[in-house]
Amino acid sequence: MTDLPILEARGVGKTFPGTQALDSVDFAIYPGKVHALVGENGAGKSTLVKILAGIETPTTGTLLESGRPIRLESTRDADRFGIGVIHQELNLLPDLSVAENIFVGHELRRYGVLVDRAGQRRVTRGLMARLDHPIPPDTLVGSLPLGRRQLVEIAKALARRVRVLMMDEPTSALSAAEVEVLFRVVRELTAAGVAVVYISHRMQELLRLADDVTVLRDGRVVGRAAAGEIDAGWIVARMTGRAAEAHPRETAASSDKPPVLRAGEIELRAGEIVGLYGLMGAGRTELLESLIGLRSSQDPVWLDGARIDRLDTAGRIRRGLAMVSEDRQRSGLVPTLPLGANITLAALRRLARAGYLSARTEDRAAAAQIADLGIRAAGPRVPITALSGGNQQKAVIARCLLTSPKVLLMDQPTRGIDVGAKEEIYRLMRRLATQGMAILFATSEIAEVRDVADRILVMARGRIAAAVTAAQATDEALVAAAGGGAA
Amino acid sequence: MYAQFGYQRSPWRTHSCVPRRVSTRRLCALRRRAPLLLVLALASLFAACSPAPPARKTIAIITPSHDNPFFKAEADAAAARAGELGYLTTVNSHDDDAHRQDELIDVAVANRASAIVLDNAGADATVAALRKAKAAGIPCFLIDREINATGVAVAQIVSNNYQGAQLGGQEFVRLMGEKGSYLELLGRESDNNAQIRTRGFHDVIDRYPGLILAGQQSANWSQTEGFQKMETMIQAHHGVKGVIAGNDTMALGARAALEAAGLDKVIVVGFDGSPDAIAAVGRGALEATVLQPASVIARLAVEEVHKFLTTGATGAPEKQSIDCELVTPANAAEFGLFGRK
Amino acid sequence: MRAHFGELSRALLAVVLVGGIFAWISPAFLTSANLTILVKHVAINAILGIGMTFVILSGGIDLSVGAIVGLAGMVAGGLIHHGLVFRGWGVVVYQHTWLVVAAALATGLAVGLVNGLLVSRLSVAPFIATLGTLYMARGAALLSSGGATFPDLGGRPELGNTGLPVLGAGTFASIPLPIWIMLGFALVAAVVAARTPFGRRVYAVGGNERAAELSGVRVRGIKTAVYAISGFCAAAVGLIIAAELGAAHPATGETFELNAIAAVVLGGTSLSGGRGSIGGTIVGALVIGELADGLVLAGVSEFWQFVIRGLVIVLAVVVDQLQPRRS
Repeated sequence: MTDLPILEARGVGKTFPGTQALDSVDFAIYPGKVHALVGENGAGKSTLVKILAGIETPTTGTLLESGRPIRLESTRDADRFGIGVIHQELNLLPDLSVAENIFVGHELRRYGVLVDRAGQRRVTRGLMARLDHPIPPDTLVGSLPLGRRQLVEIAKALARRVRVLMMDEPTSALSAAEVEVLFRVVRELTAAGVAVVYISHRMQELLRLADDVTVLRDGRVVGRAAAGEIDAGWIVARMTGRAAEAHPRETAASSDKPPVLRAGEIELRAGEIVGLYGLMGAGRTELLESLIGLRSSQDPVWLDGARIDRLDTAGRIRRGLAMVSEDRQRSGLVPTLPLGANITLAALRRLARAGYLSARTEDRAAAAQIADLGIRAAGPRVPITALSGGNQQKAVIARCLLTSPKVLLMDQPTRGIDVGAKEEIYRLMRRLATQGMAILFATSEIAEVRDVADRILVMARGRIAAAVTAAQATDEALVAAAGGGAA
Repeated sequence: MYAQFGYQRSPWRTHSCVPRRVSTRRLCALRRRAPLLLVLALASLFAACSPAPPARKTIAIITPSHDNPFFKAEADAAAARAGELGYLTTVNSHDDDAHRQDELIDVAVANRASAIVLDNAGADATVAALRKAKAAGIPCFLIDREINATGVAVAQIVSNNYQGAQLGGQEFVRLMGEKGSYLELLGRESDNNAQIRTRGFHDVIDRYPGLILAGQQSANWSQTEGFQKMETMIQAHHGVKGVIAGNDTMALGARAALEAAGLDKVIVVGFDGSPDAIAAVGRGALEATVLQPASVIARLAVEEVHKFLTTGATGAPEKQSIDCELVTPANAAEFGLFGRK
Repeated sequence: MRAHFGELSRALLAVVLVGGIFAWISPAFLTSANLTILVKHVAINAILGIGMTFVILSGGIDLSVGAIVGLAGMVAGGLIHHGLVFRGWGVVVYQHTWLVVAAALATGLAVGLVNGLLVSRLSVAPFIATLGTLYMARGAALLSSGGATFPDLGGRPELGNTGLPVLGAGTFASIPLPIWIMLGFALVAAVVAARTPFGRRVYAVGGNERAAELSGVRVRGIKTAVYAISGFCAAAVGLIIAAELGAAHPATGETFELNAIAAVVLGGTSLSGGRGSIGGTIVGALVIGELADGLVLAGVSEFWQFVIRGLVIVLAVVVDQLQPRRS
């Protein structure tokens, strides 16, 4: 580490309303080196990358470029310093061609005004050849499979001649062969003096590629080491922040009863909590959505001995299935309805008398749920949007409970809510299981899945990669299984 | 930069083409085949509609919307007379849209029509389109409405709206007994004929100081509006003795409103001589209307087309004005579709 | 969801304000006869607005209502004049008036169903789907008579099809029937919207379609139903107008859809769906009706009427936007 860091963050903090995303983080990137950034979802990796890319401005701290303080107010500034980013959510325009995507915003010009299409095509061909994937430059991006799109995104960054390249989970959609190509390109880049920041959940990949490793947890740096001096266990211990010990709950399920829900490899018994662990994009949401009927499922789905995969969502809910979705704003809450109506929405038929919903019956049912789940609100008539994230989540759960489901599906039930509310939701899940409900919940937090679940299913690349009981599980094995079955 | 403005597909959308149920899957397949299906459907439609290549001469007849029986009668009469004289015809409506009219004239030029018979969509907006047709060697014969230019069309044959309005005005004065207050329903105020008619009415009526105009509103040639506006106007103006309307549909709407209010004795006079109105005059629901000889004009225009194509001249001046006729209960039985039977 | 008192009271304020101005300008405005006529005129737009409210609450829009008004009137007119002609058998069957009414309403319902299926099953954007049916329904209305008017819908006693005009001109307790019909529609619709599972689901679909689906709401069914309701309401309006005029004209109802949308928006219903009320729509229709009739009473020219109507609509919505919102 004789060189000056090409880009450095000193004491950088970032506060969003209600949360401290980053807290005095130091982070340095050196030319010709790969610096891996690890942490669980929500640890602050993406926020740090966004700050270094000029998308977000830090609340506290400074950024330095080759030792001089700089301000990155926009991505245009970052562009000027030669900082490029490959985002996890691909930022490609599906209706434009590969070449047009690669040069969008930086079009090659002729006579200063006309787009030099031929030149763009030529450069694109060269870039794709370098990535070992000679995709024709005129192919529409929307017609490419996800892995190829990721390569286009990488080509896009290469076309900029960057000095710093940040890659946020670039391999999540790539095949093993494509990963090798990517690694080769990264090595070429570092050989040419480019600094690379590499975010990934795949431990083996990290340890192979990285020179330095920095671990983030809850917005702080909790570990920093040269890659040669550490192993996967070291990283996982710091990521989860605890010794690899779990405290499993006494399960209420008995294995001699038939499963209440059965779909492919998934079996759920009454009174059982099953955790579905996996990384972003592993297919957890897709699995849960196929169970509830939002998408088609290959496997037949059996609920309480009856086949339900030919029913629509409403039919499955009537049979005793319910789902708390991952994204409250997008698919959980009805923002235009007050709290009470949000809670009663799934149980209107039961609450109505001869087709008429009396305001009293409805308010009473909602109020009972509000009290039972400890939702902090003045009453059923308050706007749902006035509630905190945790209370909104409880309202969505309350809606599901009013239908008296036999099986409750929960997709990241504690996403984006504070620690206190998380604990309340865990207690609620345990209580419901004790009362005989079967719960299948998806999460990307190891601590959560080990603390709450009786059994754990690990998902990777759209399939169940491993199934273990909570008592048998170790952090390291879960991370390895989720990372693509390399362990 | 691209990160900030990057296009992100909403995940909900992304999956919209993933077959959720069989029906959606079929839909996706249908979508892929849709352009082909559309082409086939259109092709068969054209095959059904398009006429055989013209062996005979064709006259293009273009009028406003046929939802008005006046224009329909006009177009029908022209087409019938042209058929008798051995011509093919194409009949189209421009819906009072000058742009649509321009397109229809282009089509007529492209199809090498021998002549165009046109009830135009605007006195000024039409001139340029007609010059284009004239330059292409296609003679144009205007009916019902004039344009603000001469030498462009071979003939402009119109009913004399001003004379007709004066006829209606004189009959109204007679029915009113030269005194009393009355209401007037105007046509669409941006329409030239609405202005000419009201001027014709008033040039007669205003000479009688005993006749007082209590209120005046536009009902846009519409029966529904004539009904509603009349209902409201009679609230403000009690003791009204007569209503004069710029066309028959408004007059019939007004009559319905007056009947609903129990004012059966009020005199209502219309304009146009539509079949409904003539029937209404016959049974006493309207006191009088003025018949525009639309069918006569249309037939005359086609006859002049024939003369022009065979002899090279119509033998008549460009501007020709055909007088309107008054329809009263006494003579209602003598009239048919915009002309004497 | 419940008629928010704030929003309703603002709209009511507009009714009183506009009414006050006209009462000051024209002494005839505040007479009971004029107010009766006014409300009778409002009934047309209000009934269309009721159907439109359901559609807009669900997050859609229905441009075809004006054309359905025309078509329903023509169906009634055609049946009264010509009956049902069975060409092959040379048989003509005339229907009883009630059957004529039912057939006209069924026509509106059917066009509405087509809208609903286009939107919910084939995922056609509501604007486009209903624009398409607008043209088709208008075309069908014109075709039904070759563009002509069906005059004199009194019917003939020997055919048993008299009585349609009563729908427009009749009174009950000395109040015209169209007003009673509007009150009936409004009452039923208000209860359905606010206090039945169906109504609540309409709000939920407009507020967050995906959340509604995950709550067991059959989103496609709800969407189909709201357009059917709108078509039904439009057909009822078509019958009322044909009955009032004693005639059915195929161009009747042109641009009615815009007045109906204006009434819904003036009544505080959000065009993006999920928020609004039937009561608001009735009040919105009252404001528009007051303007239309008041300006006629005041003898204002047609051109100024357009300007003033536009100003009031924009102003009302702007004032609404300026109100601080709880969120």
